[in-house]
Amino acid sequence: MSPRHLAFHGLAIKRLADASAVAGLVGLPPAVVSSELAKAVATGRAMEAKGGFTLAPLARVALEASYGGLYGDLREDAAFEAAYQRFEVINRSLKQVITDWQTMEVRGERVANDHSDDAYDAKVIDRLAGIHEKIEPVLKALAAKLPRLGIYLEKLTEALEQAEDGDIEWVSDIRRESYHTVWFELHEDLLRIMGTVRDE
Amino acid sequence: MKRLPIDGLNHVTPPASPIVEATLELVRDVARRRFADYPGDWAGFAAEGADTLVTAADIEAVEGKLLASGHRFDWSASISAAERPEAYKPAAGAEDASDFSFEHPQAVIAPGDDAGREQRGVGDNVVRHEKNVIGTARYIRSNARVLAYLTDGVPPGTIAVIDDSGGTLTAPIIEQFTGVICAGGSVRSHLGILSREYGIPCLMNARVSGLRDGDRVEIEATAQAKTTEDYQTGTERIGRIWRLPAEDIR
Repeated sequence: MSPRHLAFHGLAIKRLADASAVAGLVGLPPAVVSSELAKAVATGRAMEAKGGFTLAPLARVALEASYGGLYGDLREDAAFEAAYQRFEVINRSLKQVITDWQTMEVRGERVANDHSDDAYDAKVIDRLAGIHEKIEPVLKALAAKLPRLGIYLEKLTEALEQAEDGDIEWVSDIRRESYHTVWFELHEDLLRIMGTVRDE
Repeated sequence: MKRLPIDGLNHVTPPASPIVEATLELVRDVARRRFADYPGDWAGFAAEGADTLVTAADIEAVEGKLLASGHRFDWSASISAAERPEAYKPAAGAEDASDFSFEHPQAVIAPGDDAGREQRGVGDNVVRHEKNVIGTARYIRSNARVLAYLTDGVPPGTIAVIDDSGGTLTAPIIEQFTGVICAGGSVRSHLGILSREYGIPCLMNARVSGLRDGDRVEIEATAQAKTTEDYQTGTERIGRIWRLPAEDIR
């Protein structure tokens, strides 16, 4: 994979990000990503806004059209495909767990979870840990074929450990690399590799 | 996997212009897929297969993707813009004033109540809030609009009306919305998760009719949230969407 492709790919996943965030996702030195993104801005492939970069619409189209050529072998790889399908199944449980993290049943009604009930929160984090156990072999199978995907297991493990240690923002906070943030990016990465679209 | 001769040639410099690069990548993608279906080698495909296997519909689809990105072609004769306004940059002054509206066959609408609130639809509330939310409906369905909002900021009081339940298009600006009306998905969709996280009132799976860009709208954020069990049992639990009289600013 060329650095240009990886920088664009990482930026497409992050949507709006600075060079170091993209570099951390795709495993390139930040300076390399900086230089690629600067070139991208100069040639109309990206825009700089609010302290971050975002891909220009046509650059996104070109990127998406290129995946078939770059990941054709992976798409035909039975072990990779099986692991991806397993991810999609576990993804449904993950979305339910995150929803149960954000909301709870009080007197028969679903309300926002204000995180004042430690026992409830602990139970949801336990379920998250259960999901993590299931996703670990899946991610290892994926990374066996595409090593850069290994970063997601590292980031997910880090987020889960922080949450288990009591810093509950690491479950779903959008402004950090929380469990849900990393999972969402992982899903986006896999969808692009496989050439499929998110169902919702 | 069968490859095109050009695949993997990393030293090929990207084309100077983004539209050329996007077009080339899309055409190569078509060629790659058709070549994969062709039983012979590249020389045979190029000599005899490509002309029949790559169809006019394939190339129309390429153009469709370019246009879907928001790109509009430059024209040299204004007849182009007149005949195919969807493909070309508009002639000066012909910028459309959007009259678009989602029209869902099951939109539940009702005439104005005492306060002049006219129900224009319903949706699934992702979580209950203390108060309803009022704002200005703004359809956000194009890259161009997302980019404009990203650069200039989302106008205050924007209730985003969208149909992308994965949040793919709107993710970078979601935080700036006052409310969200999404025509697809469920309360467990990624967009539902994101809007709860930001504390932004949001109705998913919205069925609306006659709601136009610029309308003042109220979302019933105080409605009970739809639950997983509700979806499983088919229980109707909805939040309402009203259009308010233009002068009504509370």
